[in-house]
Amino acid sequence: MGKLALGCYPGLVGNMSYDFALKLADAAVSKGHTVSIWFSGNATGSVKSHQKHLKDYSTGEKHLLALVAKGVEICTCEACTVARGIQKPEGIEGVQWNAMHWYLGKIHAADRVLLIGGE
Amino acid sequence: MKLGVFVSDFKLTVDTLDRLKAEKLGLILVQNGVYHATTKENGKASSLLEKTPNLYALSDDIQIRGLKVTDVDKRVKVVNYSDIVDLIFNDYDKVAWL
Amino acid sequence: MADVKLAFIVQKPQYKGETSRLAITHAISYQTVEILLEDGETVTPKLCFIGEGVLGLQKGQNAMELYGITSTESHMKNTLLVDLDVLVCKEDLDRYGIPEDAMPDADEMGADKKIQVVPFTEIQKAMEEAKHVLFF
Repeated sequence: MGKLALGCYPGLVGNMSYDFALKLADAAVSKGHTVSIWFSGNATGSVKSHQKHLKDYSTGEKHLLALVAKGVEICTCEACTVARGIQKPEGIEGVQWNAMHWYLGKIHAADRVLLIGGE
Repeated sequence: MKLGVFVSDFKLTVDTLDRLKAEKLGLILVQNGVYHATTKENGKASSLLEKTPNLYALSDDIQIRGLKVTDVDKRVKVVNYSDIVDLIFNDYDKVAWL
Repeated sequence: MADVKLAFIVQKPQYKGETSRLAITHAISYQTVEILLEDGETVTPKLCFIGEGVLGLQKGQNAMELYGITSTESHMKNTLLVDLDVLVCKEDLDRYGIPEDAMPDADEMGADKKIQVVPFTEIQKAMEEAKHVLFF
């Protein structure tokens, strides 16, 4: 089994690349691979808890919780996140907060890296 | 290098893609990239389909757009997320998202 | 693996979207990743600009004055200061009529590194030598 380090930069709402990243992570972990996800840029807005799932918009929270439960390591860029007005206590449980070197550390150990750029 | 490239746009990424060289190149058409597999512009199929024989398109992203698997160019293999995971780990040593 | 080489390929211009700037800041963070790695392990990114990515590298940017944000010019100087290799595609500079001396250096900050203007074949080589390729 391999290690996949995903980087996800697009926003949860307004860009379906985010949905792609989460679906790919789920498919990979379901096949037994080790998966990590790094959120940077607008993707960091998705780590706020208590998201309301309106049908016109993608939702992140329930998928992120499910991925964390399956052992996917998820980390948000702290600077990007607080810049969007989200503080740690408001974050989804199980999502880590760190700086950009967290992603480079995961990349160091990864067999495959997919960086999904944002807006 | 064996490079798998995710093509997520119909037009925007062709310039970069034209220049990429790999001993084995795979194009994985996702999001609006699937139009390369389904749409003929002025009657012509996308020139991207001539770049490599290793062409894939994500079934979810075809169907969400109201397109059918039968609309897909015969050179392109329709895959699901699980297949893409296998492509990433088994067929290519590097992957990139355009 | 002790050292993992990466190719960061920037293909979008600066200032509209955030992704192209994040390429630069993520590359710079190679300096601090060692706190998460074992002794002797390193990550070495090469920061490469191609296509429209070569736009937005010119000297004289006024991002702080006009929008209150750090300019790409300033980020590029920091990149050189931390000894990253920066490759800019010559064919694309020529295509957009940008002279090599329009790009910043960090001489006044004491940086030894300079932006390297190279043919695309050199950037292709950087991608081949890297373990992972990241497009921004």
